[in-house]
Amino acid sequence: MAEKEIGSPGSSMHGVTGKEQTFDFSVANDQTVTSDSTAKFKLPVDSEHKAKVFKIYSLAKPHMRTFHLSWIAFFTCFVSTFAAAPLVPIIRDNLNLTKRDIGNAGIASVSGSIFSRLVMGAACDLLGPRYSCAFLIMLSAPTVFCMTFVSSPGGYVAVRFMIGFSLATFVSCQFWMSTMFNGKIIGLVNGTAAGWGNMGGGATQLLMPLLYEVIRRAGSRPFTAWRIAFYVPGWMHVIMGLLVLGLGQDLPDGNLGSLQKRGDVPKDKFSKVLWYAVTNYRTWIFVLLYGMSLGVELTTDNVIAEYFYDRFDLNLHTAGTIAATFGMANIISRPLGGLMSDIAARRFGMRGRLWNLWILQTLGGVFCICLGRATTLSLSITSMILFSIGAQAACGATFGIIPFISRRSLGVISGLTGAGGNFGSGLTQLLFFTSSKYSTATGLSLMGIMIVACTLPVALVHFPQWGSMFLPPSEKWTEEYYYEKEWNKEEKERGLHQGSLKFAENSRSERGRRVVSVAVPRPQPDTTEAHV
Amino acid sequence: MAIQDFLVASILLSCFIATSYGVSFSSLPETLVVTASPQPGQVLKAGEDTITVSWLLNTSSPAGIDFAYKTVKVKLCYAPISQRDRAWRKTVDDLEKDKTCQHMIVAKAYSSSNNNFTWIVQKDVPTATYFIRAYVYDSNNKEVAYGQTTNSNKATNLFDVQAITGRHVSLDIASVCFSAFSVVSLLGFFFLEKRRSKASQAK
Repeated sequence: MAEKEIGSPGSSMHGVTGKEQTFDFSVANDQTVTSDSTAKFKLPVDSEHKAKVFKIYSLAKPHMRTFHLSWIAFFTCFVSTFAAAPLVPIIRDNLNLTKRDIGNAGIASVSGSIFSRLVMGAACDLLGPRYSCAFLIMLSAPTVFCMTFVSSPGGYVAVRFMIGFSLATFVSCQFWMSTMFNGKIIGLVNGTAAGWGNMGGGATQLLMPLLYEVIRRAGSRPFTAWRIAFYVPGWMHVIMGLLVLGLGQDLPDGNLGSLQKRGDVPKDKFSKVLWYAVTNYRTWIFVLLYGMSLGVELTTDNVIAEYFYDRFDLNLHTAGTIAATFGMANIISRPLGGLMSDIAARRFGMRGRLWNLWILQTLGGVFCICLGRATTLSLSITSMILFSIGAQAACGATFGIIPFISRRSLGVISGLTGAGGNFGSGLTQLLFFTSSKYSTATGLSLMGIMIVACTLPVALVHFPQWGSMFLPPSEKWTEEYYYEKEWNKEEKERGLHQGSLKFAENSRSERGRRVVSVAVPRPQPDTTEAHV
Repeated sequence: MAIQDFLVASILLSCFIATSYGVSFSSLPETLVVTASPQPGQVLKAGEDTITVSWLLNTSSPAGIDFAYKTVKVKLCYAPISQRDRAWRKTVDDLEKDKTCQHMIVAKAYSSSNNNFTWIVQKDVPTATYFIRAYVYDSNNKEVAYGQTTNSNKATNLFDVQAITGRHVSLDIASVCFSAFSVVSLLGFFFLEKRRSKASQAK
């Protein structure tokens, strides 16, 4: 039983001490979340040993250390995937590229990871996020080093395609956060990890030209200097891979392999995991939705510098700096989306999360339309910043909801959603930014309209135990019933569903304010509970 | 905040850009006769081959036309075939925005005859089809006349340049070594861990 501090609910000093947490990145003292005080972790944990507190400046093992390893690994992959974009003015002269070649390379860079994100989802479920992340990041390091060999447009497109595979680290990042952090703060944690990772797309627009300049001043010719510059992202891959292997662990209690051997975590069958992901209609709605938030963000990363360069006759440096601003906004806007999702859930539960997502993503679409139609530079930059906030916050909000769709198939669903994001990017680039039928500005407006239209399906996402945007929850459904449905009778007899039951209990927070009136759940034999 | 400063700076910059216009190319008289050594269709290697350019005032020009001529800048310019599908090499009449001639060969003080210069094709010149044009500037550094090796349609007397690849054997070897290190260390780590966990299972 957790100690009763002065001022805790139920004590005589509650509300008087002035130290009550009204709003915090912590649910440590939240009585509606389970606690496990027998566990020996630096941070307070729940019954699944997931952290209930998000301390950004800490490196505490395993939770915060995992957070930092995960987001930096993802950041590295973003840097290498978009590393060519700011160097295109040099590369296009070296390789004799046409506009069509450059467009195709942009599409290729995001298409590779459609497939790899799917595979990554399954890999996380079956092998654990630590190995999945490390394998991908270290096996894609050679593809980055391959840029030294490129001597034709075909080779350029092929190498960008292969480097793009590494964007699947997004899936391992989000999955890893979901194993380490409690559901009440998962929106913020996932949003911060992914947002800071996505920032790599902006950071690279500043890093690569700087590296190129330094190498050229050291005496290299331009057509050689850009190739040498690629060694830096390549080595970042190798270093991060080694750190992830050496310092990371899959779950709060240890690594997946050893836990499975000890019998603490059951081994699951891939066919079952895939089946429960694919037959859940919510998965497919989110595949579409994520294409309209992350997808349009990646597309804009590829075309925005050119848009400012052409429409307002800025020079390449200025256009590149503005392009970097779009990507760097991720440092706050994606975590903000996750945080808003968590705050909405405290009061309104899952319904709050769904409305939050719809509002943010639709606003993003509206400002994208404004961006396409802006005729002055100041209006254009303002629209771009508001568009970036809307779209990136929507990405954060999406992954505040994804962990609740399924417990058994979280990896595959994360992978499918991530793949959907990249597919959306390839599709929007193909529809609006490759042919000469539309100018880049018209393409942006049309893309904005597509975003608004394709965000409407959020209203169709219904959780029987929590409701949806317009419908109330069904009375007889509990969280346990929803998550137990993924296991059949035989599996339940073998006790394989225990993890889902624990998760169901912890997910009761998605009822919002109604949690207070819920009956006390049946006690688990192996955890201590702190219900008042 | 940095973003506010940046917004103000870019607004000012855009105002500045909007108000500066360059000289219009179609207004310039072609008073220089420019000849260059490359034969039509010849392929020159960047970093190895040379171009010898010579220019002089067209003898049939009216007397005194070169009164304001101060400097001559000779440039390597893209032929239309190398501008196709490449908006960054576009020909625009406003010379401030024109991107046809991006490589400088030489800049010299103006004299009406006896001008020539031999230039090694630089290593950063891309593979493309080219002609050569010389712009004449007055003392305010504004274009006042020009001459070029091709006709007004830019269709005759064009030559090619073959660029360096930018690749080096040392870079290739380094890439292979780094890639091998990445793969080997990953697999090494993996098998080491597997062996360690088997050993602890056996205990």
